[in-house]
Amino acid sequence: MKNLMKILTRYVLSAAGVALILLVVNFAALITWTTQSGKTVRKNYDIAQIADSLLRSDGGYTLPETARNKIETNRQWAMLIDNNSGTVIWSLNQPSEVPQSYTVSDVAGFTRWYLNGYPVTVWKHPDGLFVLGNEKDSVWKYCVTEPMAIMDNAGVWIIIILILNSLVAVLLALLFGLRLFRSLKPLAKGIEDMAEKRPVELSTCGLLGDLAAGINDTSAQLKRQEAALSKRDNARTTWIAGISHDIRTPLSIVMGYSNQLEEDAELPQSKREQAGIIRRQSERIKTLVSDLSLASKLEYDMQPIRRSEIALAALLRQTAVDFLNSGLSDSYDLDVIIKEDAQNAMISGDEELLRRAVSNLIANCIQHNPNGCAIKVTLEKTLGNCSLTVSDNGVGFKQEMLDDLNHPKNSARLENHGLGLTIVRQIIKAHGGITKFYNLAEGGCTVVLSLP
Amino acid sequence: MTVVMKMKDIFDCKLLMVDDEPELRKMVNEILRREGFVKIISASNCNEARQIFIHEKPDGVILDVSLPDGDGFSLLSEIRTTSAVPVLFLSARDEDENRLLGLGLGADDYITKPFLPRELTLRLRAVLSRAYFPVILKRTEKPIFRLGKTKIDLNSGAVITKNDQLMLTAKEFALLEKLYENRGNIVTGDSLCRAAWSDNLYGYENTLMVHIRRLREKIEPEPSTPRYLLTVRGLGYKLTGVEDR
Repeated sequence: MKNLMKILTRYVLSAAGVALILLVVNFAALITWTTQSGKTVRKNYDIAQIADSLLRSDGGYTLPETARNKIETNRQWAMLIDNNSGTVIWSLNQPSEVPQSYTVSDVAGFTRWYLNGYPVTVWKHPDGLFVLGNEKDSVWKYCVTEPMAIMDNAGVWIIIILILNSLVAVLLALLFGLRLFRSLKPLAKGIEDMAEKRPVELSTCGLLGDLAAGINDTSAQLKRQEAALSKRDNARTTWIAGISHDIRTPLSIVMGYSNQLEEDAELPQSKREQAGIIRRQSERIKTLVSDLSLASKLEYDMQPIRRSEIALAALLRQTAVDFLNSGLSDSYDLDVIIKEDAQNAMISGDEELLRRAVSNLIANCIQHNPNGCAIKVTLEKTLGNCSLTVSDNGVGFKQEMLDDLNHPKNSARLENHGLGLTIVRQIIKAHGGITKFYNLAEGGCTVVLSLP
Repeated sequence: MTVVMKMKDIFDCKLLMVDDEPELRKMVNEILRREGFVKIISASNCNEARQIFIHEKPDGVILDVSLPDGDGFSLLSEIRTTSAVPVLFLSARDEDENRLLGLGLGADDYITKPFLPRELTLRLRAVLSRAYFPVILKRTEKPIFRLGKTKIDLNSGAVITKNDQLMLTAKEFALLEKLYENRGNIVTGDSLCRAAWSDNLYGYENTLMVHIRRLREKIEPEPSTPRYLLTVRGLGYKLTGVEDR
């Protein structure tokens, strides 16, 4: 909507600009035209020169050849009216319908208007009034008289007119612009809705109907694609859940019998150990199957998050204690450090999932350092977030694995190290947090979970 | 109630096992017999289970969630309209867990497949004892145990040494009972606080420390160098060296 406002403003301003430029150009054109044509007329025709060259000579008047030629080539005529009698005392090519004597009122009339239809100009001569006549209908004469006040304010008026013009231009542009704006507004809204995955159904009437229809089509297309995608995701998750379900029953039987064999006192020790291996490997499959199912559900947002208020410090202590109580070898050192400001840190989250995230991290440290290591679990508050760190002094991550973990290309990819860390990242993401994996300079690695 | 009276122990219970996988039925059957149960009937679907339930009136049911002609949840609802028999679910899907936790379906417990035989027998025994030999009958008897030469009676809350007898306060008793229940294992400060003060550890750190010190003064021969009630730094406490009378 903001963009549309900007477009409208620009449109109005440019329209006003166009109007102003047009006005200025027109003015300039008018001025050049009048001055130019004035010049051409004056070049052919200088009445003052002609009048001055008419000289008295022994009772008559003579006009030099050049002036006479000029009059004749221009198809003009001329006469001199005596000051005292009002009669014509000299003439050249005078038309026959032009009278030979004039009263004062006659003179006043033709100086302003026409003489028997002939446009004439007059000049003062020492002996009377010199009159130069043009052909009929060759000059348009209009006498301009304006009150002095108007001419005095001409400058102001011109400016006012200019301003008025641009105002009108702006107003008109605004009016048309608003109409355009109003027809564009639903389209802009439609595109916005489309971006936010809301269904779009625009009216296809009016000037922009085609455009609206196009947006409707695109939106419907997007909707279809989204439905297809979510159907596929759904199918994938259901498929994985189905497989893990189908594996569980036969695996129960494998685990059940191998466990019975393992505990059968009648069997030789070596056979019982073999049965134990089958049982332990079956348990690995069990973990893998439930990890796979959980990972796919987290990936496609199908894992319900049961939120409650959780005391993180207690959760960390309990998770660590569970590891220690389940017979963690003495070669591992498990320490929980709760910083002073995080002692009472509470967050809203799924306790079971968060516990799983933390124990996956601890289990990962143990799994990758079979000869033992020191594991440190730290909780602190940083910038309002709870920062949960699990680090060890063991072998650390391989570089390509570190890249993979921090910049997952395909997050549900099954790595050879299992899905444990992928699930950690997914759980933290589902809680709106961030997971970062690092190697430590002094050896070992650290995983930081930031939870809001 | 007449049934309960006649029953000598939980192994007298008549059990109904419902699962569509014959191999699994066979295995569970074996596991249960080995454990000491003798009356075991199997069904492979809801319909069969319904019939057997009406005619045989079992005392306990092991019920698979997904069955060929319906799901275990609705079968349980049917059973619950006429009977309060203890039911242990066998589930093969993670989603089932959500339903089992989320809805009060009236199941007594559940196990997720795959499971170890011990898990099954432990849970089944727990469910059956709860139903037919409730704790009320045994409540009068609390454990009596020894820490070295010190005898502790949780019935009276008495700490008895060769030449002295001390009484535990209510809080000390709650703490020691919790530690005894988890003897040999670490108990977090949080669990101890919940047991004694029904609250989180935060704010109780010093109180807990003081009570543990007083408890040590009563049960340890040398309270400053504890041998039985050990501190696990940063995590909690642990009761070791327990000898059951």
